[in-house]
Amino acid sequence: MADKESSGNKKVSRRKFLVRGGLGTVGVLAIGTYLFRNPIRRAVLEKVNSMDIEYLGSTDNPMLWFELGPANEIILHSPKIEMGQGTFTGLAQMAADELDVPFENIKVVHATTDTGNIDQFSTGGSTSISGLWQPLRELAATFREMMKLKGAEKLGVPVSEVTAVDGIVSGNGKSLSYSEIAEGVTSWTIPDAPVLKDINTYRYVGKPLPRVDLEDKVYGTPMFGLDAEMPDMVFGAVVRPSKIGAKYISATTDKAEKMPGVLKIVKEDDFVAVVAESYIEAENAKQAIEVVWETPDNLQQEEIVAMMTVGNGTSSIIQKQGDALEGDAVVQMEFRSPIGAHAQIEPNGVVASVVDDKATIMISTQVIGITRKEVASRLGWDEEQVNVVPTYLGGGFGRRLHTPHAVQAAVMSKAVGKPVKYIFSREEEFQHDMFRPPTHHILKGSLNDQGLLSGLEHHFVSGDVGNNSALIPNVLPTILGADVGAIRGAFIQYTAVPNHRSVYWHVDLPFATSWWRSLGLLANTFAIESFIDEMALKADKNPIEFRLAHIGDDEAGKRLKEVIRTAGEKSGYSEDVKDGKAMGFAASVDAGTPCAHVVEVSVEDNEIKVHKVTVVLDPGLAVNPDQVRAQCEGCVIMGMSAVLFEQMKVVDGSLTPTIYGPYEMALMKHAPKEIDVILLQGKDKPGPVGEPPLGPIGAAIANAVKRLTGKRLQSMPLKLT
Amino acid sequence: MQVNGQSHVVELTDEYTPLLWVIRDMLGLKGTKFGCGKAACGACTLHVDGEAVRSCSYPVKFAEGKEITTIEGLGDATNPHPVQQAWIEEIVPQCGYCQPGFMMATAALLDKIPNPTDEEIDDNIINVCRCGTYYRMRKAIHLAAEKQSALKTTNEPTNS
Amino acid sequence: MKTKSYILILFLLMAGFVLASMYTPSESDYVSVPPSKKNSETPSDVAFHKMMDVLTHPRCVNCHPNDHVPKQGIEGDPHDFGMSRGENNLGFEATKCTTCHQTENNPYSGVPGAPHWSLAPHSMQWQGLDRFEIAASMMDTERNGGRTPEDILHHLTEDKLVLWAFHPGVDAKGEPREVPPVSKEDYIKAVEAWFENGHVIPSN
Repeated sequence: MADKESSGNKKVSRRKFLVRGGLGTVGVLAIGTYLFRNPIRRAVLEKVNSMDIEYLGSTDNPMLWFELGPANEIILHSPKIEMGQGTFTGLAQMAADELDVPFENIKVVHATTDTGNIDQFSTGGSTSISGLWQPLRELAATFREMMKLKGAEKLGVPVSEVTAVDGIVSGNGKSLSYSEIAEGVTSWTIPDAPVLKDINTYRYVGKPLPRVDLEDKVYGTPMFGLDAEMPDMVFGAVVRPSKIGAKYISATTDKAEKMPGVLKIVKEDDFVAVVAESYIEAENAKQAIEVVWETPDNLQQEEIVAMMTVGNGTSSIIQKQGDALEGDAVVQMEFRSPIGAHAQIEPNGVVASVVDDKATIMISTQVIGITRKEVASRLGWDEEQVNVVPTYLGGGFGRRLHTPHAVQAAVMSKAVGKPVKYIFSREEEFQHDMFRPPTHHILKGSLNDQGLLSGLEHHFVSGDVGNNSALIPNVLPTILGADVGAIRGAFIQYTAVPNHRSVYWHVDLPFATSWWRSLGLLANTFAIESFIDEMALKADKNPIEFRLAHIGDDEAGKRLKEVIRTAGEKSGYSEDVKDGKAMGFAASVDAGTPCAHVVEVSVEDNEIKVHKVTVVLDPGLAVNPDQVRAQCEGCVIMGMSAVLFEQMKVVDGSLTPTIYGPYEMALMKHAPKEIDVILLQGKDKPGPVGEPPLGPIGAAIANAVKRLTGKRLQSMPLKLT
Repeated sequence: MQVNGQSHVVELTDEYTPLLWVIRDMLGLKGTKFGCGKAACGACTLHVDGEAVRSCSYPVKFAEGKEITTIEGLGDATNPHPVQQAWIEEIVPQCGYCQPGFMMATAALLDKIPNPTDEEIDDNIINVCRCGTYYRMRKAIHLAAEKQSALKTTNEPTNS
Repeated sequence: MKTKSYILILFLLMAGFVLASMYTPSESDYVSVPPSKKNSETPSDVAFHKMMDVLTHPRCVNCHPNDHVPKQGIEGDPHDFGMSRGENNLGFEATKCTTCHQTENNPYSGVPGAPHWSLAPHSMQWQGLDRFEIAASMMDTERNGGRTPEDILHHLTEDKLVLWAFHPGVDAKGEPREVPPVSKEDYIKAVEAWFENGHVIPSN
């Protein structure tokens, strides 16, 4: 990156991140499309779909990112959250290489909002490492340059003659550590970012280093939201309805007030809560509160299924080439996916302390800025009066992309004058989740005389993913005509098919649905890739060859084809059934990252068993290949869990089940004995990794089951009885 | 009761208070986790007199006179348990929240079955991990079994 | 000689009655009769049915499965998480029944509990059997762990795990579990009465 022509000091305008702009870039483009025709809208959607979004943050001052200690240790204040996806480790590797300090010297912590280093977007969308790749390295290089400049000054050597290696600046036979250089310095000149190093010289980026949070997690160090504590802390519990759409009217609290340990009942217009000395006492008292709810009619599952049918709601064509399919030769198939719960093992919780005119919120959140904004808003304060202290998440998956409970805890704290800890019960977690929406898909296809696709269409309906979420400005869906989350994976990647289109239908569900890891990708890929397999069977063609024949030769197409070929080769893909096992193939592209799965499946007592999964992923440059592998393994198992076991249902107006067990999930016994991950590098910078590997698993398993049993399973969870 | 070798006396009005909350909030040991409170996920697993117990479903009154071991007592950085060493070598944790429960369940398993088969692991290790680290856990459990038996061999007195 | 044959017939009939009354039906040749024939029920039969109204309830049958998997709930669904009998009816070696189930019901987790919580041995499988078959199994020393009728009487009326059925606690949602349709006191009286009357399993 070339230095701009500038005075070299104080100028920060060259930075690429938009300060306080939110989704500024996309927003500006989107407003433009409002005035233009659908093709432009579609182009915007494709851009959004690629998640090629660079980090959007509040500051580009390296001193707010890197805190230098007295012994050359550096604390990296990360505005991105660590929720298991290995972000902290990757960021430390990137920083260490450009800062030129030993990796072990770096400690990563969550940046509190008080530091002024705040993410304007969220931790999600698989954008932490890919989005910070350029900005963080530039910040680190700038910091190093600042050390060199000041070091040169203190050493009395021209800056062109000093080097910075492992945190030591040396010149003319003398040297100073970064800490020594920083001593006594009160103001810094922030120069333009220097040219970054050649990535082939990196010592840390690209290496499978052990996670920086590994030991803490193995030894049980308090680090999660629910572990947070403040002195003099008490416990709160908010009454939540068990019926969908219930509105809080009023509450009788006489009984609850007298229960052991109760300190105060908190009654607001929109909720009632109890504060007590301990968690158990708060929970017990909460159950003694009698609430009057205004409840709509008892919804049942059949109604939800009926609502989620292609043709209901409003539609928009998100991808189009050529003509619509018509006629008798068109093959048509339907697919469905159920309501999915996040089911992350750490329930939501928060510790809030409101004292005079300052609030401190310790919380597991993926939206640090929004958490702060909502608390400040409710208290009627400026945002700077609220300090959000993010913690490690016991699982995110999109569950923490909105944290209204932080507001409730703040209100409780204000009412009792003490810090209040509020924890969701597991039942509340299941009933008040913002679920992965159920979907319905109709796939249409036609073959030409050569047995190739002449037409392919994906029609699908989904509940909200991005729409009505805290992250997406309300006006955006109207402008774009589509839900940016629901359309993930819905685009047809077989762009060589002369007539292809993807049509999105939107239905408003009576309960909240939102971001669930990989968004629409899992269900959309399940439908499309199952159908492609059927068409390959119909054409009597090898499913891998069939797919390759329909992918274009643009850059994205080339990367996808390479992934598909590699998967076929390395897995030894065959359509034969051997020793009671069959193989299934599927591939998807998510946020620009292509992925293919080959699974080996058997069926025993009507139970689908997955023995081996070969994963080929092209994440671009893998900052930490071991963690990229771990994400692939995790996605395979989480994907299997959703595809083979999980479903929420609406029964008598309530979402159910509300406990692990009845909410069936994959256990140790279901994990494949072999997961073989092969990483390709189709581009020289990191691409999204956290979600893309989820895509193919559903169709891969269904395709294997088809070859083994002849049955085409079209509904998740996949069951043979 | 004894927790990780230390004696504790706790006084509570509700003797059915789950041991989990006593351990976490009264004794300040945060390693044992709350995941569901219904004995369904296993994040609260600890040892009572050497047996795996889900502490969210274990009233504190039953803990009287018993020896409790939590993840903090299983081992630490200066003296890690073989299970913890294996967990580190295989880089098992992702979010990490369920991991202490799994490690405690694994330690109990290796105590009863020093060299478990995959099937014995599947039967006994039934906690829930949402991040999907089971694949690495399986490797770590076999590695821990190896480490533990190596330890035993080294610690056995030499027979003449 | 009409009188003599009359007396002979009478004598033969009386002998027949005496012989018939000495005949105790064994399980191998007893014939099923639907229990709806209340008008022919003896007090022993009434006691039997009251006892069996309890013993056929899911609260009892759930731990007398016909396979190795404990059952849960009114529907008798298989126990979550693949829990199974194990080697000794106490669960798996490291993850035992007592990993979660203690000697009392847990009001917070909804996990049921009672002293020596475990599955009944496989020989005492009741799931899928009708009440007459269950009773027969219960009285059969080959299947009931070698218990005498006296032993079974005590077991049915005094064992804390058996009597748990009447105090089954609340489930995970805090809802009280359904109890058998007979009260504990009436059940105990019925059991005692049935045993007192010779523990006769009525013809079906």
